[in-house]
Amino acid sequence: MDNTVHTYIADNDALLIPGREVARYLGYSREAIIAGDELIDRTIEKVKGIMAGKAVYCRYPLSFFDEDGIVMPYGRIHSTQLRENLTGCTEIYLFAATIGAAFDRELTRARVRSLADAALLQATGAAAIEAVCDDLNARLEMEALSEGRKLHRRFSPGYGDFELDNQKGLFSVLNPSKYIGLSLMDTLIMSPEKSVSAVIGVEG
Amino acid sequence: MNILDHLKKGFTYFDGGCGTILQAAGLKAGELPERWNTEHADVIQGMHYDYLLSGVNILKTNTFGANIMKFPGEGELEGIIKAAVGNAKAAIAAVESRTPLAGRSDDFSKASGEHYVALDIGPLGKLLKPLGDLDFEEAYEIFLQTVKAGMACGVDLILIETMNDIYEAKAAILAAKESALPVFLTTAYDESHKLLTGADPRTVVAVAEGLGVDALGVNCSLGPDEMMGIVDELCEYASVPVIVNPNAGLPRTEGGKTVYDVLPEGFAASMIKIADKGARVLGGCCGTTPAHIGAMIGEVRKMEPKPLSEKQHTLISSYTHSVEFGIRPILIGERINPTGKKRLKEALRNDDMDYILQQGLLQQDQHADVLDVNVGLPEIDEPEMMVKAVSQLQAVCDLPLQIDTTDPVAMERALRRYNGKPMINSVNGKEEVMKQVFPLAKKYGGLLVALTIDEEGIPTTAEGRLKIARNIYEKAAEYGIKKKDIIVDPLAMSISAEPESAKITLDALRLIREEEDGLTSLGVSNISFGLPKRDLVNGTFFTMAMMNGLSAAIMNPGSMEMMKAYRSFCALKALDENCMDYIGFTDEYEALAASAAPAAGSEAKKPAAAVSYEGIKDERLIPLVDTVVKGLKEKAGALTAELLSADVAAMDIIDGALIPALDIVGKGFEAKRVFLPQLLMSADSASAAFESIKDKIAASGGKQESKGRLILATVKGDIHDIGKNIVKVLLENYGFDVIDLGKDVPPELIVETAVRENIKLVGLSALMTTTVPAMEETIKLLHEKWPECKTCVGGAVMTPEYAKMINADRYCKDAMETVRFAEEFFAGMPC
Repeated sequence: MDNTVHTYIADNDALLIPGREVARYLGYSREAIIAGDELIDRTIEKVKGIMAGKAVYCRYPLSFFDEDGIVMPYGRIHSTQLRENLTGCTEIYLFAATIGAAFDRELTRARVRSLADAALLQATGAAAIEAVCDDLNARLEMEALSEGRKLHRRFSPGYGDFELDNQKGLFSVLNPSKYIGLSLMDTLIMSPEKSVSAVIGVEG
Repeated sequence: MNILDHLKKGFTYFDGGCGTILQAAGLKAGELPERWNTEHADVIQGMHYDYLLSGVNILKTNTFGANIMKFPGEGELEGIIKAAVGNAKAAIAAVESRTPLAGRSDDFSKASGEHYVALDIGPLGKLLKPLGDLDFEEAYEIFLQTVKAGMACGVDLILIETMNDIYEAKAAILAAKESALPVFLTTAYDESHKLLTGADPRTVVAVAEGLGVDALGVNCSLGPDEMMGIVDELCEYASVPVIVNPNAGLPRTEGGKTVYDVLPEGFAASMIKIADKGARVLGGCCGTTPAHIGAMIGEVRKMEPKPLSEKQHTLISSYTHSVEFGIRPILIGERINPTGKKRLKEALRNDDMDYILQQGLLQQDQHADVLDVNVGLPEIDEPEMMVKAVSQLQAVCDLPLQIDTTDPVAMERALRRYNGKPMINSVNGKEEVMKQVFPLAKKYGGLLVALTIDEEGIPTTAEGRLKIARNIYEKAAEYGIKKKDIIVDPLAMSISAEPESAKITLDALRLIREEEDGLTSLGVSNISFGLPKRDLVNGTFFTMAMMNGLSAAIMNPGSMEMMKAYRSFCALKALDENCMDYIGFTDEYEALAASAAPAAGSEAKKPAAAVSYEGIKDERLIPLVDTVVKGLKEKAGALTAELLSADVAAMDIIDGALIPALDIVGKGFEAKRVFLPQLLMSADSASAAFESIKDKIAASGGKQESKGRLILATVKGDIHDIGKNIVKVLLENYGFDVIDLGKDVPPELIVETAVRENIKLVGLSALMTTTVPAMEETIKLLHEKWPECKTCVGGAVMTPEYAKMINADRYCKDAMETVRFAEEFFAGMPC
């Protein structure tokens, strides 16, 4: 196994961004979430037109130490919750995904033009990056299944006691700025705004 | 032979990939390859040596990520670069003296005679502001350190490579140019043939040639076959030699090993096609090996390179796209220029950037190709405001800008910061001005507007103006500025003062076109100064000017007369395919004519179910209330303007229509009958109505009443500001005066502002758990330094409990609650 980072490019036409997810991000109450909200549908189409869903990922061997220690490809870390999530795993995928800078620009524009558009875009962008992650996840799952193995739930830096500081390590091994234009700011927040990085355990 | 002479002579060959070779030699994930220059010098020298044996001319030093962010230790960066350059030179020395490396016996027959070392500079791995958090000048400084370290070791050229953002490339080029060495740029395009931040190849050519690179091209990301379209575009527009360094196709995993799918023979076959398109600097990137490069050189050596030629395209650009002059007339929106615009003057004085940005976006909607930016007012700091306006406009609007100033400091600072290749307004025939402006245009690139005026004034004949234009072309050439980068403005002057003036200007346009084949631009509307109904004359003069060869007009794209002239001209001159733009324009024209008629009926698509307006006392206000409730933004602005011109007082509109309308929607929101987008559409509509009121107030020189002043800020470390902006707009709609400090605001700035402005209420927002401590710190500092000030907090992570814990005075769960709180708070305060 070598360390070459792979690039994934989402197919916008095939990608499903569920309207109900967008509605949920907008704070619609459960009863109000019904199919066919014209505003939401239009925003989803708009986002699909500007987003460029991309990710970098790579698979690494995994081992543990102490009670809550994990040997990550970038160094040794401690996290009880991630350790629990990775129980039974022998390898991990690391990935970082984004829907691209054009979305951020559209959002900045909307902030000046119209708050309603900005809020709708914001919610739709959040649903869009989740959709990209789900699609990538499904692809990695196929890969694992073909080897008779299964994947655990994805776990991101900042969840529970898996510290946000791990972003630095993830970025140092995946180098997403080079491949998909995704960079890490000093605050450990990613730019473009709608981006996700995570660990996925491979069991078996 | 100098590398630049080598480029002129024929093909020049770069080496290939490095990462795959180092990984095979044991480089680990996350390990910095640049360290291998010192730790495994033998591996690096061996790699260079193998490439030289395959016939390459230029070695890239193993310094892709060598910058002070990655190597911050004292002398660390310099050490790495010195070793890297040393490794390249050692390999060259071995090959040139035909001395095989230890333990090898090699065939030197394919090695070339001329070898060069390129200091290799890759991207910094951080996005520049406004997308990311790295400041342009910081990026420049970081690159400059790498450049200096490279210069100290004696390299032959600087290669800036794999850039996927044109702005970062600009910072790197400016730093590299400080060395006086030849500078090459290659950028990485994605599968849609754009950089990750949006620029297409033509735009990259415009910007890079403007900044004076010696060769430019493409590398990484794609295999040679996927690059063909990019190479075509580069060769069509670039006057400098084109570089192509592709990957060996795409990587895939095979039995746990990464393999690239293009083999040496296939690579060579594709590179023949690329050479045939006109590229003359060829090499490889990820996955290519000495075998790939050797096979390529073996084939391309047999070919004749396409001759280099000066391309005659006049281009300017933003960070995503370019605009070409000389095809159809280009529209330059004139609305961001305070001359004669009271509302804009007021916005500039009050630092109301939103208004300026809205003017930009509005002109973009009205089909301007370029925006003029002039912020000159005697009472403001023009350089500072110019940089701010340019940066902020570029954050929201992707049209190229025309930097319009007579202040050389403002000009230089804006040109430096500008993301793309701008228009520069202006230079003229005065020696003094040319001396000031030409060096700036040469250094930063741009299309220069040249006014036909000199020490003697404006000539009263067309021939006199042509003569000044010629003089400017000549002087510019002495600075190395090409004629294609100059656009002459023969000056339109009012016909009410000088009856012959239109005729002279039109003749001058024709002469410049016919005698010099030059480009021309005009501030069209000056022609009618002092006349009534100026648009009517302007429209006709615009048509006449275009008939005489005008290439660009500074004009108001919101003027129907001007657009009528423009769209008709383009359709008649076959510059509008299938008259599509003209047909699109007729729809807008009709819509505008209809909205100018008294408001009747409602185009509302979303019925605001069962809304009762019985609380509205003044019947004239009911249509406006209905419009705001339904969230129809444009209509709300227009209706308000009508009411104002029918002499309804501004305060009556606010209190009698806007606030009641917002209350109707706000109550629906609180009762969960109305959802966020509807609430916000109403807020947008109310804002549009307020804009009309502000216009009226500015025109009459009055001031708007305020219900209280407060500060809003998203706390330090947090960059999410939509929630805060929602609160801001609602507060403003309700008549509060909001000082918006933006996002990621340090506690000190908040406290300082509160004290200075004597503010009694501060609203803080935080979206992430990680930034709650910053909020707590802000409140603590406020309590300490400015105890009479109260705080209210909100945001996704906030809860009433959290708020209490960090000693906030009030938790507000949403924007409506914040409005209610502010009303309650200021009601109890003496104004």
